[in-house]
Amino acid sequence: MDKAINKVKTSFHSELESCKTSENLEQLRIKYLGRKGQLTDLFNQFGALSNKEKPKYGKTLNILKSDLTASYNNKLATFNSDQGSDDKRDFSLPGYALPKGNIHPLEHVTDEIKSIFQSIGFSVAYGPEIDDDYHNFEALNVPKHHPARDMQDTFFIDSDVVLRTHTSNVQIHLMENQDPPLRHICCGRVFRNEAVSYKSFCLFHQVEGLVINESSSFAEMKGTLEYFAKEMFGKDTKMRFRPSYFPFTEPSAEVDIWNDKLNQWMEILGCGMVNPNVLENVGYDSEKYQGFAFGMGIERIAMIKYGIRDIRLFYQNDKRFLEQF
Amino acid sequence: MKVSLPWLKRFVNFKQSASELADLLTMLGFESEVVTDFSVLKNIVVGEVESAKKHPNADKLKFCIVNDGKMTHEVVCGAPNVATGQKIVFAKVGAVLPGNFKIGKAKIRGIESNGMICSERELGISEEHDGIMVLNPGLKNGTNVADILGPMYDAIDIDITPDKAFALSHRGIARELAAKLNKKLKSPLNAKRVIPDSKEKVKVVLDKKGGCPRYVAGIVNNVKVGPSPQWLTDYLKSVGQKSINNLVDISNFMLLEIGHPTHIFDLDKLSEPTIEVKWAKKGEKFAALDEESYILDSDHLVITDSVNTVALAGIIGGKDSAVSDTTTNVLIESAYFDPIVVRKGSKKLNLLSEASRRFERGADPDATLDAFYMIVRLMEEVAGGELGSIVTDQCTFDLKPRKITLSHRKLSKYTGFNIPNKKVEHILSGLQIDCQTRGESVIPMNVVEILSNSNKLESMRIRTEFRPFMRNIVDHLQVIGEITRKNASSYRRDIRFGSKETLSELAKVLKKNHSDSLPKEFIPKIAGKKTNKSVDTQKWICTIPSFRGDLVNEADLIEEILRCYGYDNIVPSYSFSSQMQYAEDEERPLSHLKKYLSSIGFQQCYNNSLEERDSIAKFGVESLSVMNPSSDRMNVLRTSLHQGLLKTLDFNYKNGTQDILIYEQGTVFEKKGDTLDDIEQKNAFSCLVHGDFAEPNVHFSPIEGNFFLLKGLAENIFNNLLKIKIKFIKESHSYCGTFYNIVDSQKNLVGSLGIINEEFLKEMDILHRTDVCIMDINTENFKECFNYNIKTEDIVLYPIVNRDLNFIMDNSIELAQVCPTIKNVNQSLLKEVVPVDVFESKELKDEKSVLFKLYFQNPKKTLEDNEVNSIIAEIIDIVLKKFNAKLRDQ
Repeated sequence: MDKAINKVKTSFHSELESCKTSENLEQLRIKYLGRKGQLTDLFNQFGALSNKEKPKYGKTLNILKSDLTASYNNKLATFNSDQGSDDKRDFSLPGYALPKGNIHPLEHVTDEIKSIFQSIGFSVAYGPEIDDDYHNFEALNVPKHHPARDMQDTFFIDSDVVLRTHTSNVQIHLMENQDPPLRHICCGRVFRNEAVSYKSFCLFHQVEGLVINESSSFAEMKGTLEYFAKEMFGKDTKMRFRPSYFPFTEPSAEVDIWNDKLNQWMEILGCGMVNPNVLENVGYDSEKYQGFAFGMGIERIAMIKYGIRDIRLFYQNDKRFLEQF
Repeated sequence: MKVSLPWLKRFVNFKQSASELADLLTMLGFESEVVTDFSVLKNIVVGEVESAKKHPNADKLKFCIVNDGKMTHEVVCGAPNVATGQKIVFAKVGAVLPGNFKIGKAKIRGIESNGMICSERELGISEEHDGIMVLNPGLKNGTNVADILGPMYDAIDIDITPDKAFALSHRGIARELAAKLNKKLKSPLNAKRVIPDSKEKVKVVLDKKGGCPRYVAGIVNNVKVGPSPQWLTDYLKSVGQKSINNLVDISNFMLLEIGHPTHIFDLDKLSEPTIEVKWAKKGEKFAALDEESYILDSDHLVITDSVNTVALAGIIGGKDSAVSDTTTNVLIESAYFDPIVVRKGSKKLNLLSEASRRFERGADPDATLDAFYMIVRLMEEVAGGELGSIVTDQCTFDLKPRKITLSHRKLSKYTGFNIPNKKVEHILSGLQIDCQTRGESVIPMNVVEILSNSNKLESMRIRTEFRPFMRNIVDHLQVIGEITRKNASSYRRDIRFGSKETLSELAKVLKKNHSDSLPKEFIPKIAGKKTNKSVDTQKWICTIPSFRGDLVNEADLIEEILRCYGYDNIVPSYSFSSQMQYAEDEERPLSHLKKYLSSIGFQQCYNNSLEERDSIAKFGVESLSVMNPSSDRMNVLRTSLHQGLLKTLDFNYKNGTQDILIYEQGTVFEKKGDTLDDIEQKNAFSCLVHGDFAEPNVHFSPIEGNFFLLKGLAENIFNNLLKIKIKFIKESHSYCGTFYNIVDSQKNLVGSLGIINEEFLKEMDILHRTDVCIMDINTENFKECFNYNIKTEDIVLYPIVNRDLNFIMDNSIELAQVCPTIKNVNQSLLKEVVPVDVFESKELKDEKSVLFKLYFQNPKKTLEDNEVNSIIAEIIDIVLKKFNAKLRDQ
């Protein structure tokens, strides 16, 4: 029985191969798949088999049948398409030359970050790029003549008005206008008076987060940011929190993710529990309320994500660069 | 700050290599990088220069034979000081020096060199690169250099954040290390109070207005200026500092040893042994140690000898009172200056020093006396001097230590994780923060103890208030991976029903795991009672040491505890405590607009907000200047997005792309007055098109990216995306010849579009080959009108009847007038009038032929031919009369 099955199979396929016309193919169909064809013969032989053998060959025969039918149909389809069409147009011509538009890479990354945080209930807030010293520094626990001011080189409009050095000014505006609970991210453009080079520009973009209520803890901050990092960089992302210093948070941390290619930790964001002084500055009861804040540079993340080595490419708007996104 | 391992070992014993130390400190909040770690340098040994001859093909090179103890190597060396017989650091072929500098065979001027003789810089020890490093002649050839130089020069570089003034010294870092490693902090240099023979005393007068709350001064006589002893030179060298002379070295050493800045005056150069700390006179000139002359202001605090200014308090000493080779008697200053005064002073002169860095961050007011006596001790030992005066200590500073209350409840609530009381106390004492227990009114239960005791387990099984506790343990064990999820869930079920087996099983698991991170204690919460005095948690009254001026509130202490406990040991919580809320984003509509534009072929740009004043001035809006621009090309803020978009066009044109379809969203600024409120900060949105929208190809000729592209886009955006009806109204514009405002049915300005003048483009020097067209969209209006509540209308099922009409009319007639006229003939049945072809030719002279397509439909029934015909007749009649047109012959 095995032999008979194999023989039908091999001879069918070799004959199918040599079929050149639809007449040939039709003859082949009658020979094998027809009502009196070889396949029917095999099924007839099957009927004579013992009950013990039946299950095994039943399966084999069914497979053979579907194999032969499918192969025949495929071949038939190629004949039809070759011959059925008398359309003489050249379909190998290129398609219409449509313009190729793109979203800026920084927008892509911002959107992605936004949607990750929106998915866990963060609203998005915006605020002014030019602000007073109070909202950019003092309310954030960075008094005048504090060494922490050296951490951010500032552009001044006048002695009291600055180009914001971070989006944290939005946090202050938010808290001034709203009572807890808060669960927001703020995003936008910030400015630093730094020499322009491949790794720094006079401006960049940030996304910051702020969560204030009666119970959000350091552990929750870790959970939130781990969720973010895994959504953003993949679920196997290895990360670490290490102690750092920001005037507006206490305790403060910086978060690194492990870069396998470079074999080193890469800093992606800063975070911490909102400093009680900041809460008091906006009139929140720091005994009752607590929460955390975090912030990250979008350029930095985009550079890691897309392997961009020169930050200036983002603002040059070279079509050859933009077209890649 | 460069910190050397041998120096740290003066204070604390540890085995860690430089790399391990850097990791450890980084995770403690001191971001560190390895400078030199000899333990990782391989194939670098002590070698002996057996011969050093001139290189046959180069004057400045030498050809050396180096013995590494096993064999000799031929090496070409460029150092001028290489000589026969020297013991040197020899990097063999295959060695890797700091900075991933690989040593291989190399042909230098025709001679093969097998290895390298190293300089200090190549080894990362110092910046010394004038010659090779010469070692002690007693060393054995072939000795691993790591064993000799490692203990002397292994070093790390620490980036110390501005809040951590206490760590700006080897002692400061060692203190952290000792706490982390559970080691004792040693005091290598004692500050024994010496009793002087002399009755002399330095007079110290402090200004009443403050600035200097403490000043310690005294005299050391008969010092001999000379070279420093080897140990002192070695320590300085281990952090890359050169030895100058014993007096200067002592001062530098002390700064790096304990972090308290001191200053040494040459007593004989002072007019009197008197110190007056006071405010400078405005305009006063001061010649400093760094050979510069500074002009001071009235808020600069200075040190005078009652006649002359001898130092700028806490920043830099004076040139005229500095110690020199001939100094024999000195006056030592060990003071504490106000951080703000020092910072303002140093900022104003743009003069930063090691001393000012420490004072502005907050030095230790209680270290002044110790630092003084340490200097005296060192002077006795190193320069042979002796204390020559009674020590003056003028102090107005309240030295009573600060006390902060820390509660365990706050710590747990803040952290979201339980750190056992014992651990908290251990951490605090390691940081030299004394903590006294207070308000302890409940004995926390020891978890392991409860679980080992079956009676207690039995009682806990019965009492419902312990269930959360048990569940906590299960959660914890699951988080740390001790039990599987399945097990955890069956444990939880059993806890709910109070199964004894579960508890004893859990006890087993717990016993197996004695990890520190386990919640060792449990403070029971009694259900139903919110505040129960007997459930109050531990409180500590913490006494803050004087060197920790940065610790002022409970949160600061919590940071210390978490930092030392290890951020990574705190188990993250994924149960977000916040309420459900609608995640708003007011800019979401704009993101639809961006996606729409990008999908039809536009590229989004991000241009600089900072622009050049002269070029912005040409756009006619008053711009806002930056007070301290980094360059003249970026000294004002952009007043519109057109500026950046035009630059983008020019840039890409220069780089070979002439077809430009771009847009940008961003803030633009207008100065309308002098205060912050007078600065208009507007969220703008602009598009620019130039060249072709679609390139020529086998299928069709190019489609121009011109005014009509933008007009069509506007119609699409407003009619289709926003569902608002718009009109284009011609306006004049300062740099657009053709310019239209886009208004809605209430005449609100919702956008504008136009063609930029040729002359303007020339003036701005923007490369182009076709019209440059721009369109602005009012973002406020867009966000307002963008709504998702589209109201649908019923579809009219009766057929539409199509008719064409071809008129010939004067060229000057605008079709925007003709179409409404036609439509007005029958508003209800005439659905739409569209001009589909405009034809001009020589034969037509000043006239044009326009083909209109008319769409008729009756919403209630099928239209009859004769109905349409009568309307057509009416239209022809009106158009012929009103526009003096002719019907074109068919």
